[in-house]
Amino acid sequence: MNFGFVIDNRSCIGCHACSTACKSENDVPLGVYRTWVKYTETGTFPDNRRHFQVTRCNHCSNPPCVRICPVTAMYQREDGIVDFDSRRCIGCKACLQACPYDAIHIDPETSTAAKCHYCAHRTDIGLEPACVVVCPEHAIIAGDLDDPHSEISKIVHNEKVTVRKPEQGTGPKLFYIEGGDIALHPTATERTPETFMWADVKPLHGENIRADQSHSTQGLPAAGPIQIGGRVSEHMVQVSYNAQHEVPWHWQVPAYLVTKGIAAGVALVFALALWMGMELSATTGVFASATAVVFTLITTVLLVGDLEKPGRFLRIILTPQWKSWLTRGAFILIAFSIVVTGWMGIELGNLFGMVPDATLAAARPWILLAASPLAIGVASYTAFLFGQAEGRDLWQSPLLPIHLVIQATMAGAVFLAASGNVFPISGAIAELARTVALWSIAIDLGVMILGEIGMPHASEVAARAAHDITHGRYKNYFWVGSILVGHVAAFGVLYFGVPVLPALLALVGLYCYEHAFVMAPQDVPNS
Amino acid sequence: MSSHDPQGFLGRLLDLFPDKKPAAAPSGATNVAGTALPVMSQASRDPVKLTTVRHPDGRMSQYPPPEVWDDWVEWDSKAWPERVPRHYSLVPTVCFNCESACGLLAYVDKTTYEIKKFEGNPVHPGSRGRNCAKGPATHNQVYDPERILYPLKRVGKRGEGKWERVSWDEALADIGAKMAASRKKRRDGIMYHVGRPGEDHYANRCISAWGVDGHNSHTNICSAGARCGYYLWSGFDRPSPDYANARTILLISSHLETGHYFNPHAQRIIEGQRNGAKIITFDPRLSNTASKSDVWLPTTPGSEQSVLLAIASYMISNELYDKAFVKEWVDWESFLANGEKFLTPKALEVMKAGDKSFETFHATLDALYSEFTFERAAEEAGVPIERIVQAAKYVAQSNGALAAHTWRSASIGNLGGWQVARCLFFLNVLTGSVGTKGGTAGNSWNKFVPKPFKQPPAFNAWNDLHFADEWPFSFYEMSFLLPHFLKEGRGDVDVYFTRVYNPMWINPDGFMWLEALRDEEKIKCHVALTPTWNESAWFADYVLPMGHAGERHDLMSQETHAGQWIAFRQPVRRVAMEKAGIEIEHTYEANPGEVWEEAEFWVQLSGKMDPDGSLGVRQWFESPNREGELISQDEYWGWIFDHSVPGLPQAAEKEGLTPLAYMKKYGCFEVVAENYQPYLEKGFNTPSKKLELYSPLMEAWGWTETEYVLPWTLESHVSPNNIKRDQGEMLLLPNFRLPTLIHTRSANAKWLYEISHKNPVWMHPSDAQRLGLKTGELVRVETEIGHFVDRVWVTEGIKPGIIAMSHHLGRWRLEDSSGINPGTSNLARLDQSGDVHSLHVLHGAKATKTFDPDTERVWWEDVGVHQNLTHAVHPDPVSGAHCWLQKATNVTKAKPGDKYGDVSVDTKRSMAVYEEWKSWTRPASKHSPDGTRRPYWLKRPLKPVREAYDLPKK
Repeated sequence: MNFGFVIDNRSCIGCHACSTACKSENDVPLGVYRTWVKYTETGTFPDNRRHFQVTRCNHCSNPPCVRICPVTAMYQREDGIVDFDSRRCIGCKACLQACPYDAIHIDPETSTAAKCHYCAHRTDIGLEPACVVVCPEHAIIAGDLDDPHSEISKIVHNEKVTVRKPEQGTGPKLFYIEGGDIALHPTATERTPETFMWADVKPLHGENIRADQSHSTQGLPAAGPIQIGGRVSEHMVQVSYNAQHEVPWHWQVPAYLVTKGIAAGVALVFALALWMGMELSATTGVFASATAVVFTLITTVLLVGDLEKPGRFLRIILTPQWKSWLTRGAFILIAFSIVVTGWMGIELGNLFGMVPDATLAAARPWILLAASPLAIGVASYTAFLFGQAEGRDLWQSPLLPIHLVIQATMAGAVFLAASGNVFPISGAIAELARTVALWSIAIDLGVMILGEIGMPHASEVAARAAHDITHGRYKNYFWVGSILVGHVAAFGVLYFGVPVLPALLALVGLYCYEHAFVMAPQDVPNS
Repeated sequence: MSSHDPQGFLGRLLDLFPDKKPAAAPSGATNVAGTALPVMSQASRDPVKLTTVRHPDGRMSQYPPPEVWDDWVEWDSKAWPERVPRHYSLVPTVCFNCESACGLLAYVDKTTYEIKKFEGNPVHPGSRGRNCAKGPATHNQVYDPERILYPLKRVGKRGEGKWERVSWDEALADIGAKMAASRKKRRDGIMYHVGRPGEDHYANRCISAWGVDGHNSHTNICSAGARCGYYLWSGFDRPSPDYANARTILLISSHLETGHYFNPHAQRIIEGQRNGAKIITFDPRLSNTASKSDVWLPTTPGSEQSVLLAIASYMISNELYDKAFVKEWVDWESFLANGEKFLTPKALEVMKAGDKSFETFHATLDALYSEFTFERAAEEAGVPIERIVQAAKYVAQSNGALAAHTWRSASIGNLGGWQVARCLFFLNVLTGSVGTKGGTAGNSWNKFVPKPFKQPPAFNAWNDLHFADEWPFSFYEMSFLLPHFLKEGRGDVDVYFTRVYNPMWINPDGFMWLEALRDEEKIKCHVALTPTWNESAWFADYVLPMGHAGERHDLMSQETHAGQWIAFRQPVRRVAMEKAGIEIEHTYEANPGEVWEEAEFWVQLSGKMDPDGSLGVRQWFESPNREGELISQDEYWGWIFDHSVPGLPQAAEKEGLTPLAYMKKYGCFEVVAENYQPYLEKGFNTPSKKLELYSPLMEAWGWTETEYVLPWTLESHVSPNNIKRDQGEMLLLPNFRLPTLIHTRSANAKWLYEISHKNPVWMHPSDAQRLGLKTGELVRVETEIGHFVDRVWVTEGIKPGIIAMSHHLGRWRLEDSSGINPGTSNLARLDQSGDVHSLHVLHGAKATKTFDPDTERVWWEDVGVHQNLTHAVHPDPVSGAHCWLQKATNVTKAKPGDKYGDVSVDTKRSMAVYEEWKSWTRPASKHSPDGTRRPYWLKRPLKPVREAYDLPKK
C-alpha cells in the first residue's frame, strides 16, 4: 500500500469545494487550511488565463517533517500516508521549517502542528478522503501507487505529471496533470500582493513583503525565476488567491543562537586559557562557569518559551525521536548544562572554601575536557537542525556548523573580554579573550563576506533569501547591524581598548545577523 | 498503528500544563445549534472496515453504502489518531444553498441528534454524490452563532431593532387573522414574495388555496430576459443542456463557477470537455469559466446578439445548418406567409422572387441575416475576429450536439437582453440540437413535478402590483418595481411575506425599498420568513425563523441533465429522532430552538386563516385520512409518493419499504434516466406546435418591428454609443457570482466568507493608469442615481472600459450586537436628508467572542460594499427584466471625505430613471389585440382563470 494523490488540472474548476469539505471533515479552524486552491493569473487581456492549483501536503516518500520532528508527532504510516498526532506534538514548529511546501500549520485550536493527513481516519475504514468525495470534477484522485491496476497508477504512468519541487529530494507523491510552472513555483509570482481578488491578505509580519524584482544576480534573475515576458503592468503574473502562512519562528530563535553562543564560547575560551597553562583565579572560574550556566538557562527558557506547547517540553527527553537534530541538540544542551553546572559547583565550592585549591586545579582540565566538545556541539548543532529544514535552502549550508562555532567563540570571547573591565577576573584570560575576539570577529567577517556574498547559492530560493539579507528587507540588519556595528565598530572599539562597549556592539551585531539569517528564508514563499 | 499513550507515565507525571480535558461525552439528546458547538457521543462499537469496493477505475469505496446508513460508525477525525468511534444515522436531504437541489447526507449523532457534517448523497442522480463548496458549509449555517432561534415580533417602530419573542401560536393567530381579514375584502392583499423557492409546487398550492393573486418572485432580477427569449421560440422558459454528451458547449454565463445549476452542470460540462467537446464562453470578464474555455470571447456587453447572428449567418450562407430539422420543426411556412410584415427590404425582395418552398425560406433567411458578418461582430464585440470564426466553426461542427446556456449575464444585463437568449437558441435550432443527445432541451422536459392529493382551482384575481399594464410580456412579476408602484399609489399590501428574500439588499434601488418597508400604510404587515437575519427582515413586523437545508420538508426536481428526478429535503434531526422512536408533531420540536419550516407553517397558518372553513381555504389543508384535521407532512408527501411518481412504489416495494419510507431513506428517486426529443410526439408548446422563428405574438401586441418579431440585435442601454468613455463614463458590470457565495446569504457560512469576503472594483490597467488608481486604493463610482466608494483591483481580467464588481458582498447591520454576524458584515449607519439617503460604514468585519471560537479568529476586515443601492431600476420594456448593467457616469479617485463603503442615493433620481424606462413600454391597455392584460399563452408561475385576464372596463 502506498497512498498518493493525483490532481488533474484539466478538470479542476477552482471551486474550493475541497477546501470547505476538508474543513468540515476535520474541524479545521478559521485562519488555516489543510488544502486550498491557489489561483494564479497570467497574460494580458484578452490573451490571459486564470489557473487553479489544489495545494496541500504531498505525502512525501522521504518526508523531512518526519525526520525533523523531535517527538514522532509527524510520522509516516506503512501505507505511505504522512500522518500527525497532536497528542504528541510540542509545537516546536520545526516541521513547518522542514516542509518545502507550506503544507503544515499550527492549529489555533490545539496549538499543535496539523496538515492534510489523507483523511487516514477514513481510509482506514475504506472511505476516500473527504476532498476526493466532494470534488464535482473528480479532479482529485486518491489511491494506491503500488497497485499497477489502480486508477491513480494508470494515470501517473500514462499522463505527463509533475510534482512540486522534486529537487528537494522529498519524493512528493502528489502528482499534477498539467501542472504549470507559474503556479507550482512559489517565487514565480509575488509573494504577498496587497490583496487577493476576493479576500484580504494577512500580512506576514504586520506588513506585506513584496518581491524585490529590481536586481538581477547569479541564481536570481530579475522579474522572477520563470521568464514569460516583461511584466509591464505587474498584473501579467498575479496570485489572485492563496492560503496564507505566517512566519513560524520569530525573535526567540536568533536570540537563542546568541545566548547559547555566549555560553559555549565562554567555556571554549576558558578551556583554551587552561590549555595554554594560564593561572586562572577563583573568581574567574566562578564567573566563567556561572556565565555558561546562566546563558544555557536563558537559552532553555527561550527554547521552551517558543514552543506552542511549552508544558510539553520534557517530551523531547521522554519520547525522543533520535533522527531529529532538535532532539539531539536538546540532549547536547542538557549534557552541556550538567557539565557546566558541575563546574560551577566546584568553582563555588572552592570560593567558599569547601573545595581545596588543588582539587579544583586537578578537576578543571577534566571538566573542561568534557565541556569543550559539548560546547562545540551546543554551538554547532543548530546547523544540523537547520540542515534538516528542507523548506529553507539558505539554512542548508555546509559552512554553517563551522560558522556557528566561530560565532560562538566570538560571542564568548568578546563577552569575557568586556567582563574583564567590570569583574575581577584574571588579566591574562581577559587579554586572551580580547585577542580571540579580535581574530574571531575578523574571521567571522571573512566567512560572511566570502560565504554569503562571494559564493553563489545553489538554489534560486536560497539566492532569494540571501538577496533579501543583503539587498532586501533585512539589509539594515545585515549591513548596519551585523557588518558595521557587529564587526567593524566592535573590532575598532575593542582594538582601541574601549571597555564594555565592544561586547555590546558585537552581541547586538550577532543578533542582527542571526535575525536576518533566521527570518529571511522564512519570508520566501513555499507555496 | 497501535494507539498507545504517547506521553508515557513520566510524561503524564511531569506535564506542567496539561491540556484541558474535553467535556464528557453527552449521554442523551441535545439541541445546541445557535447556542453552542455540537458535541458528539461515543459509539459503543468500532467502525466496521468496509469491504473495499474496487470500482472499475480503481477507486476505493466512496460512501457508506445505503444499507448501513441507519447504523454508521466512523472514527472521530479530530481525536485521530486516537480511535474514538462515533455513531451516526445518515439522513439524506437536499442542499438549499442554490437552486441546483444537490443531494446531501447529514451525519446525525445517534445519541445527541447533533449534526456532525453534511456530505454528498451518492444516489442523487443530479449531483451524483458530489458538491460544491457551499454544500459542506451548510453545517456553518446550522451552528451559526447569529441564528434566529425563536419567532420574533417587532416592538417599537419598524426598523428600530426591538423585538420580543412570541410563541408560534401567537404568531399564527395574529397573522392568520390579518390574512382572513384581507381575503374577505379583496383577492390581491396578500403577497408571498419569494427569493429562493427551493421547492416546486407547495407554496404555489397554498397561494391558490387562499384564492389570491399572491405570488411574487425574484425572477425579474435573475432570469426574465433568458426566459422570454427561450419562451418565444419554444414555449419553455429555460434551457436544459445535455453537456456531458455535447460536442460544442456555448456558455453566455459563468457556468463553471455559478451557473444554474452549478455543481451538476459543472460536472457535466467538464465531462463533456474531457470527452472532446469544445467550450465557448462569452464574458467581458475573465471568469473561471472563461479560463477553462477553448474559446473565450470577451464580448462588449450588448454585442452578444451580433456575434451569435454572425455565427448563424455563417451557417446559413454556407449551408452548414441542419436543414432537415429546420424544415420539419421551424414554422417557416408561417414565416413566409407573413414575411411582408417584418422582413428587411433585401430579404423581402428575395422572398418575393421565390415560391413558397423551403428553398425560398433558405434564400430569404440567408439574405435576412447576411448583414451579420464576422467583421461586424468582431467590431461590435471588440474581440479578435479569428476567435469568432473559431467559435462559429465549433458551433457548425456540433452535429446536433450543441449544449448552450444563457441565464444571468448578458440576457439579464442588457436592455433587449431577451434577444440574447433568442439568438442563442437560434443556433440550437440551426444545428438541430434541440432536445437531442448532447443538445439543449427544454427545462420542462427534464423536470418532474408530481401532483399533490388535491389541487385548488385557479383563482379569479389579478394583482397589478405583480403584472402591471405596461409589461404584458414580463417574465414574470415586476417584483423589483414594487416600491415604485407603491410610491405611485398603484396599491398596497395587507400581509407581505418575504421568504428567503432580502429585497432591500438584493434589488436595485434599495433605498426605494427602505422607504416602502418603512411605510406602514403601504405595507401593513411584513412577515419575514428567513433562516438568518437580513437587512430587510430588520424592517419586518414578524421575523419567523425557518430552517436550513437539513431542517425542512421540500420536494424538488431540476433539469440538470437529460433525465428526470425528484429529491426530498428533510428535517434530518426530526427524521433521525423519529427513527429512534421519538414522537414529533411539529418540525420545530426537533429543529434548533423553535426554528420551523414553511411546509408545516403554511398548513397551520391556513388553518388559522380559516378556522371554520367558511372562506373555503381550510379544505385544501385538511388531511385526506383524518376528517377535519390538518394534514401532516408525512400524509402530504406520502400521498404524492404513493400516487404521483411513476416507478417509485415499485422501487420501494423491491426494498420492502413504503414509498415514503423509501424517500426518507434515499432522499431522491430517478423518474426518467434518459430523455431525448420528447417533442417528436406532440410538438412544441407553442401556438403553432413548431419552433417559432417569427413571433406572431410580439407582432400582435404592438412589437411589429423586425428587431422584435425576429431574433435580432437590440441596442443595449450600455452599448458603446451610450457610454461616453471620453467623458469618463464606464460600464459597471455587477451581475456575476462567485463559486463560494450563496447569493447574498453567505454571511452565515464562515468557511465561505473566509475564502471570499470582499468585492473590489475590477479595473483594467489602462483604465487604472488613466485614473491614477492602484490596487487597494479607493475609487468613487457614480451611477445614475448616486455613488459608492470601494477599493480597486487592477487586473488584466477585465475588458478595458468596463469595471466589474460582484454584487453579493457588502452586507451590513445597524446594530453591533445583533443582526448579521460581526465577522461577515459592516456595521453601518443610515442617514436621510429629504430624498437623499446614505449608508456609512462605521467599521468592517471584526472578531468577536461567541460560543464558536472561530468568531475570534476572523482575520479579515474588508467585507465589501453594497453597490446595489446605487443601481437605478432598468425594467426591460418587453421581458420586464431588470437590466443589471449600469452606466457609471463618473469613475474617479475617491474625493476628500469619501470613506470606504459609503453609499449615497437620491430617490428623486431613482423615480426619474424609472419613469424614463417605463416610457419605452407598450402597455396592454393600448396594444392588447384581444382586450386581455397579457397573452394567455405566456407562462405565469400561478395562472389565474381566463376571465381574470380581461382588461378592466374603463
